[in-house]
Amino acid sequence: MIADERRARLIEAMADAGLDTLLVYGNAWQGDYLRYATDFGILEGQALALVRSDGHVSLYLDSPLEVDRAELDCPGVEVIHARDLVATVDGALNRLRNQRIGAAPQRLIPRRIALRAKELNLSDQTAFVDRLLMAKMASEIAAIRRAVAVADEGYRVFMQAARPGRADYELIAESEAFFRARGVDDNFQIIGVGGTEVRGMAPPGGKRLKRGDLVTTELTPCVDGYYAQICRTLVVGEPTPEQRAAHTLYRDAMEAGIAVVRDGVAAADIARAENDVFRERGLGEYTTSEYTRVRGHGMGLFADSKPHLLENVTTRIDAGMTLIVHPNTYHPAVGYLVLGDAVVVTQDGCEVLTRTPRELFSVAA
Amino acid sequence: MRRGLMQWDPEELPVAVLETRIAGLRAAMQGAGLDAFILYTNLVRPSAVAYLTGFTPYWSEGLLLVPAAGRLVFATALSNRVADWIRATNPVSEVISTPRPGKLLGERLAGDAAVKRVGILELDAMPSELACDLAGAAPAIAWIDGSAPFAGIRRRIDAAEGRLLTHADALAVAALDQRATTSDAGTLAGLVEQHARLAGAEEIYVALAPDLAADRRLNRVSKPVTLADRFAVRASLAYKGSWVRRTRTFAPDGAVAEADEWFAGVVRGIEVGTPIASWLAQNITSLPGATLEGWMVERCVGSYPLAVTASSRSPGDDAPTDGGFLVLAVELRLDGAPWIGSAPVFVGTPHF
Repeated sequence: MIADERRARLIEAMADAGLDTLLVYGNAWQGDYLRYATDFGILEGQALALVRSDGHVSLYLDSPLEVDRAELDCPGVEVIHARDLVATVDGALNRLRNQRIGAAPQRLIPRRIALRAKELNLSDQTAFVDRLLMAKMASEIAAIRRAVAVADEGYRVFMQAARPGRADYELIAESEAFFRARGVDDNFQIIGVGGTEVRGMAPPGGKRLKRGDLVTTELTPCVDGYYAQICRTLVVGEPTPEQRAAHTLYRDAMEAGIAVVRDGVAAADIARAENDVFRERGLGEYTTSEYTRVRGHGMGLFADSKPHLLENVTTRIDAGMTLIVHPNTYHPAVGYLVLGDAVVVTQDGCEVLTRTPRELFSVAA
Repeated sequence: MRRGLMQWDPEELPVAVLETRIAGLRAAMQGAGLDAFILYTNLVRPSAVAYLTGFTPYWSEGLLLVPAAGRLVFATALSNRVADWIRATNPVSEVISTPRPGKLLGERLAGDAAVKRVGILELDAMPSELACDLAGAAPAIAWIDGSAPFAGIRRRIDAAEGRLLTHADALAVAALDQRATTSDAGTLAGLVEQHARLAGAEEIYVALAPDLAADRRLNRVSKPVTLADRFAVRASLAYKGSWVRRTRTFAPDGAVAEADEWFAGVVRGIEVGTPIASWLAQNITSLPGATLEGWMVERCVGSYPLAVTASSRSPGDDAPTDGGFLVLAVELRLDGAPWIGSAPVFVGTPHF
């Protein structure tokens, strides 16, 4: 069981770090720290968990519906319904005085508890858990492989759903139905439909597909808690020469980034390799934050895991990390365009997990 | 993560309605001696900001500042490119993209000498980084928990919210009718979700108890599970920021029809001022062979879409108020077999 392996690794790391207890926070947006410690994939409300150095885990939830789910999903974890979550955990922490307590992610720990950090001997251990989240065990990489495979299938479903006249949210509805039937718990997905007026992806807003539109999506299914991403672009009808040329640029940039990935490089090296391709072709402006967010990121228990691939991120890339390399950005001739493949880092390079061809796809208009 | 239809429609949610709601909060602020109000939002705690602005974040988080007068300010770490999308779905706020929303709003508040006391919805639960940035930027301001005044303005729903909730419920009812074609729980969850999303749901969480006789707890299904004769499905669904919950029990040969009918009657008959516990106790006798195992009332009173305000374990003040909205969940044992259901309730005389 991945969950058992994770917890054993966490307890061992806590011992090495001299921590008696770890306090973790989670919700359906930022759930990775909680999932690592408890294996619970929270949907509603908020949760705090206390992980003790002897392996005992108490999971506090403010939703009774989530308590039912946690009891079913998390054997071996003490599940506690706390209608006033913050007050209940605050009280529980009172009983742990004289212990060394770590907290993660510190920035989301509720104010009432954070204000008592000194009194409770509570220290920020976000980076400590981040290291565990980034460096994957073999069982975690196996889960990500499964998620990548279902992402490939999900993109085919998405593509088959795309046709003129359909609304953007209908395309996502079709892929969601496929995902639920295939055991996918969750999915992060945004979409862009149109041409040069589209400057990024967002949730669907009811826009209907028409001939000539670029349809971009970032599809991120979650299998056994692990998110894997694929980024692809399709055209409604035959692509124009400008669209084809733009796609070639993005493919070259992505492949340049992937070529750099290996144990020991920095996140910045990968981003720089992608961006250099844009700069060489006079489009360096479109690698800045005005037009794009990141050039890729980690994949794991969070849809947008660390490390972020940016030219100012010096995080070392280690063998066993899983990444999406995506030079997604705005192109002045065709609009926002995306392309991204998932990889697992090896000692001397990386293994590309994504199987979907790196094509600019076309659907009948 | 939100990935259904997210769109502001001025006919469904006119700016005038939002302005009336904002005025309601300002009146409550005045009553509580507050010079400004701050509300936190993310996709798990979206409802207070959605109530005032129409906006729900699909990702990340943000803070809404409601000053005593003037335009609202929404500050978020979402990037500038996303700010355009936020503006398209949030017609009443200035939108600012900043890596430190707490610091930015704290500085704004500190720059106004008239601001001494600021209310924060659910103060204790405010994420520490945002709270620390606010306090650091405005050290002279007193931060007051504003949950009670905010809950006060959420006791009654307005006509626009009533119509959105009614539409959300219609989507949930239709989605739960998708059950007949499969015996696999995962496939059924997919069908329910597909139907709701194709019909324009912003979000839906589908949970099942695949064998209700063995275990009444509902969960999302992420592996092939065969549905037993008696099972239950819950759809928690949002349409344009308005959330409802519906749960249905399914069994062969009309075995649950009588309970379904009884529950529909209970929901229709809920009266202003009559505690739910009394109402259920009074009505259970009209369903032969039934015992009441438990109940729960959820309302939207703060940032959560639905939060438990009373239950059989903790009845509290469960008397429905006129013009209010709630979701009632009930668990029965009927001739030895379990039945569960939940449905939205508009209390009193609907004005929409």
